[in-house]
Amino acid sequence: MDQAKPLPRISPDNQAFWAGCKRHELVLPFCTACGKPHLPPGPVCPFCLGDTLEWRRASGHGVVSSWTVVHQPWFPAFKADLPYNVVQVELAEGPRLTANLVGAPNAVLRVGLPVEVVFDDVTPDVTLPRFRPLTP
Amino acid sequence: MVLDIRDQAAIVGIGVSEFGRNLPASQLMLGAVAFKAALADAGLTRDAVDGLSIHLGWPLGVDYDRVADAFGLEIRYVNQAWLHGRFVTQSLQHAALAVATGMADVVACVTAISFTRVRDFLGGPGDHEGTREEGGTHGEAPVYGLTGPASGAALAMQRYMARYGATSAQLAAVPIAIRKHALMNPNAVMKKPLSLADHQAARWVVEPLRLFDCCPVTDGAAVVLVTSMARARDLKQPPVAITSMQGIRAGREEFIFAPPRLGINQQPTGQVTPRPADLEVFRKAGLSPQDIAGFYTYDAFSPLVLFALERFGHCAAGEAATWVQNGRIELGGALPVNTSGGLLSEVHIGGWNSICEIARQLRGQAGARQVADARHLQWGTCWGDSIIFSKA
Repeated sequence: MDQAKPLPRISPDNQAFWAGCKRHELVLPFCTACGKPHLPPGPVCPFCLGDTLEWRRASGHGVVSSWTVVHQPWFPAFKADLPYNVVQVELAEGPRLTANLVGAPNAVLRVGLPVEVVFDDVTPDVTLPRFRPLTP
Repeated sequence: MVLDIRDQAAIVGIGVSEFGRNLPASQLMLGAVAFKAALADAGLTRDAVDGLSIHLGWPLGVDYDRVADAFGLEIRYVNQAWLHGRFVTQSLQHAALAVATGMADVVACVTAISFTRVRDFLGGPGDHEGTREEGGTHGEAPVYGLTGPASGAALAMQRYMARYGATSAQLAAVPIAIRKHALMNPNAVMKKPLSLADHQAARWVVEPLRLFDCCPVTDGAAVVLVTSMARARDLKQPPVAITSMQGIRAGREEFIFAPPRLGINQQPTGQVTPRPADLEVFRKAGLSPQDIAGFYTYDAFSPLVLFALERFGHCAAGEAATWVQNGRIELGGALPVNTSGGLLSEVHIGGWNSICEIARQLRGQAGARQVADARHLQWGTCWGDSIIFSKA
């Protein structure tokens, strides 16, 4: 069942992100000219159009900036998970990443919830980042 | 020198097909019905049409050349947008620019949709848009099971609610008002009254959107004929002037279904609505929001109506959920919205049903739905694009 869930589409621009996840490291493309990181991974820095991006490890911490709970059985492969959550997390470094919250019921979801990244090896080749509530 | 487009182009004909679900007719057939109805409405023959601005094609339908071929047209100007609600405004704007600059005499804006035949593409494994290499435009994350356009509106409304304290019960005022309008329109797909209790009892689709916050999946077609004002004055119907226009916005402050700077995807967070750039369409028309007798907007999901009202200064940022209460956006209220039933209750043909309704209203042909003293009506979307139409 799990194999039927969609997997990330690896492109030349995002390959390093997913390679980082495979190593259980959350990495972001930082611009060597202006210093800013961005998501989703693009070909150049969207802030200064700089050409040189350097992948650096992020803290893995952030806060939920928006969330939803899906009730519509859109994907057959997700049917057993209904209702399941999806979160947008504003990383401590600034960019936002869409993933889901694990290790807590949907009832804890709120904008501003502090979270940290965890990694889930969903196939031998692919690891997905997910988030769990940050325990103080 | 900048071309002054003000009142230089006009809508002179409108036509629609039957609206419904699981209609047996092909998309081209629905389009042909609407096209012939628009010609009859305008008192034109098809030979007069030398421009096409089409809003269909991938992932549904055909391209401009097949439309010209199927309807037997000789075309010298084409604009084509793929089937996405975002492209209604630009399709009309291209038509207006083409007739104002003489690239065409009469442009037919054509949309024809058979959503019920290929509904898989609106979410799930068949959602080719949402599973593109760079992903969809609505915040889709198929890896985590987030798919379809509703997801983007849900993410935006959730953050909007957290920020401003808006509630699902307040949001209900939008689909309830628009349903009331649909009940006055025999061509509308949705036929039953909608109460607050119905709205609140309905199932979640993708929180915080309930069933009635999402428009139904439907079939239908519309054709809108645009020509120069000089020519329009000699035609059968009172011309509906295209008074002013502003284009769709894009950039890091924008997310398809959120106000600027709400903080969805990579939007920075900050309160900026409305900015002077959002109100350009009023300045060009020499009008203010108070001059607008009715507001028409893309309402595939009810939050989008709130966002559009704020974006064009009809109310302040964060105020829309309370502002829309007590009949304010209903016929007879201060600013009626989507008076034929919008996407939420008339039909989802991108919004062309509302463009046709604007024309009916400004001609004084809206019957029981007629907005009193309608001189200027606004089409304006959560994407920031807009056209102000006037009684010529």
